[in-house]
Parts: sequence; structure tokens; C-alpha cells
Amino acid sequence: MSIAVERTRTAGSSGGGAADVLRRFVRSDRFARAASYVFLLLLWWLASVYEDRFPAPLETFQFLWVEVTGGSHGGVVRGEFLEHFASTLPRFGLGIAISMVLGIAVGVVIGGSKWAEALFKDTLLVLLALPAIIWAFLTQMWFGLGDDAVVITTFLSAFPFVAVNVVQGIQAIPRELRRMSRAFHVPRYKRLRHMQVPAVTGYIFAGFRFAVIVGWNAVLLSEWFSSSEGVGWRSRYWYDANRYRGFLAWVILFIGFIVLLDRLVLVRLQRRAFRWRDAQASAIEREAEEIDIGVKGA
Amino acid sequence: MATLTVDHLEKTFPAIERGSVPTTAIDDLTFTVEGHVFVSVVGPSGCGKSTLLNILSGIETSSSGSATVSEGTRPARLGYVFQDPRLLPWRTVMQNMLYVIDESGAQARTRAERYLEMVGLDGAGDKFPAQLSGGMQQRVGIARAFAVEPDLLLMDEPFSHLDAITARSLREQLQDIWTQTRKTVLFVTHDVAEAVQLSDRIIVLAPGGKLYADVEVDLPRPRKVSDTDVATMQAELLGRFETMQAETAAAKTASIAN
Repeated sequence: MSIAVERTRTAGSSGGGAADVLRRFVRSDRFARAASYVFLLLLWWLASVYEDRFPAPLETFQFLWVEVTGGSHGGVVRGEFLEHFASTLPRFGLGIAISMVLGIAVGVVIGGSKWAEALFKDTLLVLLALPAIIWAFLTQMWFGLGDDAVVITTFLSAFPFVAVNVVQGIQAIPRELRRMSRAFHVPRYKRLRHMQVPAVTGYIFAGFRFAVIVGWNAVLLSEWFSSSEGVGWRSRYWYDANRYRGFLAWVILFIGFIVLLDRLVLVRLQRRAFRWRDAQASAIEREAEEIDIGVKGA
Repeated sequence: MATLTVDHLEKTFPAIERGSVPTTAIDDLTFTVEGHVFVSVVGPSGCGKSTLLNILSGIETSSSGSATVSEGTRPARLGYVFQDPRLLPWRTVMQNMLYVIDESGAQARTRAERYLEMVGLDGAGDKFPAQLSGGMQQRVGIARAFAVEPDLLLMDEPFSHLDAITARSLREQLQDIWTQTRKTVLFVTHDVAEAVQLSDRIIVLAPGGKLYADVEVDLPRPRKVSDTDVATMQAELLGRFETMQAETAAAKTASIAN
């Protein structure tokens, strides 16, 4: 079996030469991803050609460069990239942290009891449906300018996504495992730590991802209205000053931030949390290899 | 020493749909088990064997009568081996053992290791369940149940999902462990041969959960399936089992004819 497969593989690669290499390159994931970026840039550039008020890619990136490294925009201001991220990130982090802790706690309670579910489920749905801008306005009225309004908007927007996901996760725990725990009289905290939390890890991750995206959205929106520093405020500053390329430069900065966060942090955490599942996959692979070796040996 | 008392126990499941009749799983069942004996409950499928274990372990409640396990004055500790391993897939074998042991720290670890060694899985503590074969997972399940050092050990057809060869070697291993530890065991199965090989006493249930026979098995241990005595007893009990099935079939036909 394996010999036949190898033969077709060699035949395929030796026949094509350069054309074959090119074809394989075009079909690769990396090429597809790069192509999508190029395509978006092209659309952007076309839009700027036909519409004067839409800043072109090049001038936007130049502006962005000055914001990041320092210098001046025709004598206006120095680069303030770090300063604004430094005031936004703690607010964002705190808001997300609170929504994770409370979201998991509330999710476990609702998921574990029919009564609690009846009591809270509709409230949760209403919270899910409320757009971040409502919270941004309300907290601005309640707390005025400053950190409180921003942190609380972030928390209120992200929290229901965490809670709803955790509820689903708790309800998806296999009945067999719950019965096993009951038969052995496993204490509550042990069930929480070793059965419920690991079982919902996947759901917590889904919730965390939503929380990060929704929360980032909310933090920027709230800073737009309730702050005099931070990433959201800075984009508003350029918007109010009629400097659209500055506004757009900050949009790129906060999109870039969320993409990096997702790729660098979330993916790694996820890999660690799912070691048990990967162990299963690699065990199956090993078995398959053994079978393969067996066939070759025979 | 644990005492298991089942007293006029009844369990009826209510009708699920309108028009269907409630089903009786256990019907006026009475027996007692005292001391460190291995008792099997044998019966055709649907005779309420698993229901009996679930009532004993507190997962289900009885309709009337009682089933109690007592160990002097303190509440009795129960161990449970299920048909499937029921391990936490996201925890290692060792962590699965520690999950049910009510001690903590080094003591718990030593205990877990001792019972893993008894089922021949010392050194597998750091593996995840998915990295083990079905038979090995079931052995972890057995080690886990013994590790809580139960006053009463409940086993629900623990070998029925395994292939014949694995099942046979696990049966012998179970015999060894039991001889070493001497627990009170209630072992549910539909396999008469298995029951004869393992038990001191066999309780036969008829369909509908009625007590049909209560048989002493007084054969020397360790027993092998190939022992003449074991084989004779198996054949004899299988004969009674078939008679029972014929009787119930006849009764059913009679009730339809009436």
C-alpha cells in the first residue's frame, strides 16, 4: 500500500518542474492569506482615488508611522502611540478580567440549576442584546469622564458573552461523568475544579474570544465619549480635527492590536488547555504509524 | 463489616407517554448480604439489575421499600465500577484516582499508586485516558473503585464492553485483587459463567425484577473457567436460567391467550 502511494507521489513531483512549484505555491494557505491583504489594500486604494475625502493607504501609513515613532504632523503634535495604549490597556484588561471572573461564576450557577436558569436567563439575553454604545452613554452619565465609565462599559459589554458560553458548557457535561461523581460522593469544589471547569474550557475560550473582541469595541467607544486620553479618544481627536488619515491610522492600530492578541496569546493558551485532546490525537497517529510499519515489514 | 439490607424494595418507572403502562423494574425484592462476600446479581436484560445499583448508590430513589448499607455507626463508603470506564478525559490517570480519594497530599498519592499497581498499571499515572486502550481504561476504573476502600463495592457489568480475551484476563485480575483486599462486592451481570467464576453467592432475578433463586457457590479459589467444578456449576446454573426464561415465556403466552 505505502509503496504504491510513494510511487505516485514521486511521479507527480518530478513531472511538473517549475510550473508545479508555482502551482503548489499559489494553492498554499500562506499565499491565499497574503492575497486577501493585497486585495483589501487595492480596494482601499481604489476608493481613495475616486473619493477625495477618503485617505490613501500610503499617506495613512505615513501618518501612522509618525504617531508611533514621534515627529510632527505639519507642526501639530508629537508621536503619542505608547502613551495612549498605556492608558487604554489597563482599562481594557481590568474590564475583561472582571467579566471573565463574574461571567464564569454566574455561568456555573445558571448552568447548574434549573431554578437559577429560569431566574437569570432572560436578563442575560437582554444584556446580550444591548449594544455597547448604550452602556457607553449610560456610564458617561453615571460616572462622568475617567476610568470608571470605560472599565464598566467594557465589563458590561463583555460579561454576558462569557456567562452565556459557560452556561452552555456546563449543560454539555456528560451525564455519565456527573453520575460517576455523585456515586463517589466527590465534594463540590473538586467537581468544580476537575470536572466542570475543564469540561467548559472550550466554551470559556469561545467566551473569552468574544469578550476580547466585544470588550475592545466597547473600550474604544467609551473612550470616545468619556475620556481625554487613550486609543479611542485619540481617534476621536483626529476625527474632530478633520484629519481623516489620522482617524484611519488609529483604526489600523486597533485592528492590528486585536489580530496580534488573537494570534499570539489566545492560540497559545488554547493549545495548552487542550493538551488532553492532542494527546488523544497523537496516540491515534502513533497507532496508525505502527500499523503502517507492520504492513511494510510484512 | 458492612451489612447490605434490601427490604421489600420496589421501583416503578412512570409511564412516559399517555396510554403506556408504568414499567416495574424491581418487584418486592428482599435479601441481605453480610461480611466480605462476593455477591453476583444475575438476570436477563431489563430485570432492574442496574436500577438496584443506582438506588444503592443514591443516583436513583426507590418507589417503596428500602435498600440500606450500614457500617457500624458511620455512613458506609461506596465504590462503583461502571460498564464504561467513565474517566475524566481531561485529567491524567493519577488525577482521576485522586479525584475520588478523600485524603490529600502524599498519602492519597501512595494509595492511588498502590491500587494502580494492583491492576498492573503502575507507571501509567501520567497518561491521559485517551492514550490507553479500552481494557486499560476499565482497569483504571476498577483501581479507582478499590482505591476509595469501600465498604460496599458496586460493579455494573464491568466487562461487557470488552473483547473476550481482555475480559477473561480482567476477571482473573479482579479475583486476585478481591482475594487480597476482601471487600463486600455486589456484582451485576447477565453472564452466568462469569458469575459462577467470581462469586460466593448468586442472586438470580426474573424479568420484572422478582427474586428467582439465591445460590451459594462454595468452590475453592482461585477459580479458572477450565476447572471441572466451575464448569459443572456453570452448566447447572445455566440450566436453571433457561428454565426460568422458558417459564416466563410460557406465562406471557398464557396471559396473551387469556
